[in-house]
Amino acid sequence: MARGVILMSGGIDSPVALHYLLRQGHEMVAVHMDNRPFTDDSPLEKVVDHLRALETAFGRKVPLYVLPHGPTQIALMRNTDRHVGCVLCRRFMWRSAEKVAERERAQFLATGEALGQVASQTLSNMRSATCSVRLPIVRPLIGFDKQEIESVARSIGTYGISTRPGLCCQAVPDKPATRSNLVQIEAEERHVDVEQILDDCVRRAVVM
Amino acid sequence: MAYYSLRLCSGGGAFEAIPSPRRSLDLPGIRARLEAGHVPVVDARVMLIVQLEREVTVSRDGRLLFKTRDAAEADRLYRRLQPLLELPDLAPAAS
Repeated sequence: MARGVILMSGGIDSPVALHYLLRQGHEMVAVHMDNRPFTDDSPLEKVVDHLRALETAFGRKVPLYVLPHGPTQIALMRNTDRHVGCVLCRRFMWRSAEKVAERERAQFLATGEALGQVASQTLSNMRSATCSVRLPIVRPLIGFDKQEIESVARSIGTYGISTRPGLCCQAVPDKPATRSNLVQIEAEERHVDVEQILDDCVRRAVVM
Repeated sequence: MAYYSLRLCSGGGAFEAIPSPRRSLDLPGIRARLEAGHVPVVDARVMLIVQLEREVTVSRDGRLLFKTRDAAEADRLYRRLQPLLELPDLAPAAS
């Protein structure tokens, strides 16, 4: 079995994806991109509770890295086209997860993404977002529909945690792009100092 | 005529006021007016975080977020900010 890093948002999908990876016996590390002040404390609280539930079910610890993502969002909002903000945001999430994977000697990255559910999960946006990293990305839920994911979430006891009230992400633009062009994305990204932003983010990680 | 409508945000944890038509807010000007009115405000550069009885965020794209799940309280907070932010009236709630 392999060692992987999974992005955990506090939503319905990521704990289900983690459930399948743990069930297969993989050794997992969780990463939560802390989006405050664009959200409140609730996503982090949900991730902590998701991990508690899954750790109890599988009888093993899943370390959690909490990385500050708010400063990254501010840099992107000030310097790049808001229309492609969700794709740029995802690129930084993947890069941050990859940095954690390097530190943790993990061989793959993972996510709860399912094709076509939200703006960031169209095929072209997924491609634009994940071109920024080298490690393979595992998506256990890629072909699931929402009802299937919710059904599994209920059965493993994470649905009630995910659906607790919380703030919507205030960094989401009015009309996020559902199709992105990698040339445009990379041009937009040149308006910020990628390495500096990443270094600042990873240096301030908190491990729980 | 411009107006704002109030609705529960997608996460269900707050109320948001959305302008129609969309408008761009002058955040430095709003910050100055809030401070002149002795309202505590944090400048997050792309949005303002206003400290009233509940926290309110003011985004550059005109969106306001009231960190309460009580519609009446969100309405009260909107009216309190209305003169300071030079906001139009709220649209009547949908029946």
